[in-house]
Amino acid sequence: MGFGQFLAAPEIKLKIVTYRDVFQNAAQESSRFGEEYEKLSAIIKLDPRDISRLSITENDTVIVKNSYGRVVVTAQRSGYEDAHPGIAYMVNSPWSNALVPDKTSGTGVPKFKDFEATAQSSKGGKVTGIREIF
Amino acid sequence: MSRKYYVCTGCALLCDDIEVETDNDVVTTVHAACRKGVARMKGCSNPMECTVGGEKADIDSAISMAATILRDAKNPLIFGHGNSSSEAQKKSIGLAKKIGAYIDDTSSFCQGPIIEAILQDKLKTCTLDDIRHKADVIIFWGADPSNSHPRHLSRYSYFPRGQERQRGWEEDRTAITIDIRRSETADICGDTRFYQIPMGGDAEFMEALVSALSNKVPKTSFDFDKKRILELGNVLKKAKFGVICVGLGLVYSLEQLEPLFTLMNKLNEVSSFHLMPMVGQYNMRGFNQNLFVETGYINRLKFNAETGETEHGNNYSVVEVLRDMSVDAALIIGSDPLSSLPLSIARYLAEIPLITIDPCNNLTATRSTVTIPCALGGVESGGTAVRMDGVEIELKKIIETNNPSDEEILTRITEAM
Ligand code: SF4
Repeated sequence: MGFGQFLAAPEIKLKIVTYRDVFQNAAQESSRFGEEYEKLSAIIKLDPRDISRLSITENDTVIVKNSYGRVVVTAQRSGYEDAHPGIAYMVNSPWSNALVPDKTSGTGVPKFKDFEATAQSSKGGKVTGIREIF
Repeated sequence: MSRKYYVCTGCALLCDDIEVETDNDVVTTVHAACRKGVARMKGCSNPMECTVGGEKADIDSAISMAATILRDAKNPLIFGHGNSSSEAQKKSIGLAKKIGAYIDDTSSFCQGPIIEAILQDKLKTCTLDDIRHKADVIIFWGADPSNSHPRHLSRYSYFPRGQERQRGWEEDRTAITIDIRRSETADICGDTRFYQIPMGGDAEFMEALVSALSNKVPKTSFDFDKKRILELGNVLKKAKFGVICVGLGLVYSLEQLEPLFTLMNKLNEVSSFHLMPMVGQYNMRGFNQNLFVETGYINRLKFNAETGETEHGNNYSVVEVLRDMSVDAALIIGSDPLSSLPLSIARYLAEIPLITIDPCNNLTATRSTVTIPCALGGVESGGTAVRMDGVEIELKKIIETNNPSDEEILTRITEAM
């Protein structure tokens, strides 16, 4: 057990934008409960600077949470040329939906594509399984 | 031998040029479809089972239990319909009328407002075939068809040689992406044709574009390069047949549609522009049209069982009725709301008696009292569906199954009521 275990992991605030991915979508067609679907869904894409701020390395798992929900997902570099610190991307899935606010200002439409959450290293925690989201 | 073409129900493009090979009532090979379409047509690896209370059951007991749940409910909800045939949707509307249910579909929290404006003739639209044959300026606004509708660019909007666009994308078409992130579609359009705007900046960018089209200086609070907006304005002015493909990114960003109406009006003063809603699920538009014909509304309704009258509005949307906890049982068909709704809203749905009708096991099914497997539309059953552009497409059955179609299941539940 490393000494890091006892230090509080830094927590950062993120704006999360969701997007679609054809590979994840195809995996969903095959099975909502398959490994492939989880692997392609339970991820968050970050700016390299945010990865450093979290004191993690790529493919570590992070806890992403807000007052609506909490999931553990795998952190990846976004690969975008332009820097986007503070903005993270999640593919539209039950994992991103776990964090979408229920507020709609009476419009009936939640903010699926644009919401806030915090992220923190899960210190080796397991990715939240689809059945555990509820 | 004449070749047989089938329709893919993987998205609302409903590609109708699909060839398949089958072996013993299993689709083994799918030609021409995209990756998502191939996965859809081959069927899922985890089909739904017929269950009552978590135990395997025969279809008769499942139907009778479903009828009991709906009969006992004071305020039932019927929701889903995006992945259902038009025939099933009509049965669903009939059932909602009979039992005085709330009825809604996925458009309620996605493309609904755009479809409504199109059906009310507030937005000029066209068909996908028009785009293929005529479109010279195509804007993907908050849309990433390379991922959401993988054959949109190759069959219709960018690459094909159309009747009036014989030189295809190389010379005859200009594709533009306006988005908050560099999507794969943006990469195809190229750097000079990609306009990256900040989150929530769509309405303002529209206003700036209207200024540019009116020969005024286009200003934005996020200081977007005025020269680039003016250049874009010039490209749009010269369009012979322009299209704005509206994706969810734009729908979610606009608090109301006024800026879009203003932009479309301006574009149609200076050139000719059409709007294409980038509908996701294969028959969402069908549901909107079917309900519109029946009630004058496209979604978000409650029927009165005695009078057949309807109440309609934002308060009747699936999201609001679940948040208010005003429904006490739900029939879910052709959708997986526990996956697609915010968890903060779906939690309540998971607590009430649920009936799920779908070919595949999904998250909603895992919390349902009754699950009834149906035939996979366009593969195991035929029917009709409405493409994103409003064109009706006939679905053909490819292979046999023991599962009844979604329409048959709804007919049987209605009869059992
Ligand atoms: S683009 Fe849509 S309809 Fe066409 S093959 Fe792909 S999933 Fe099927």
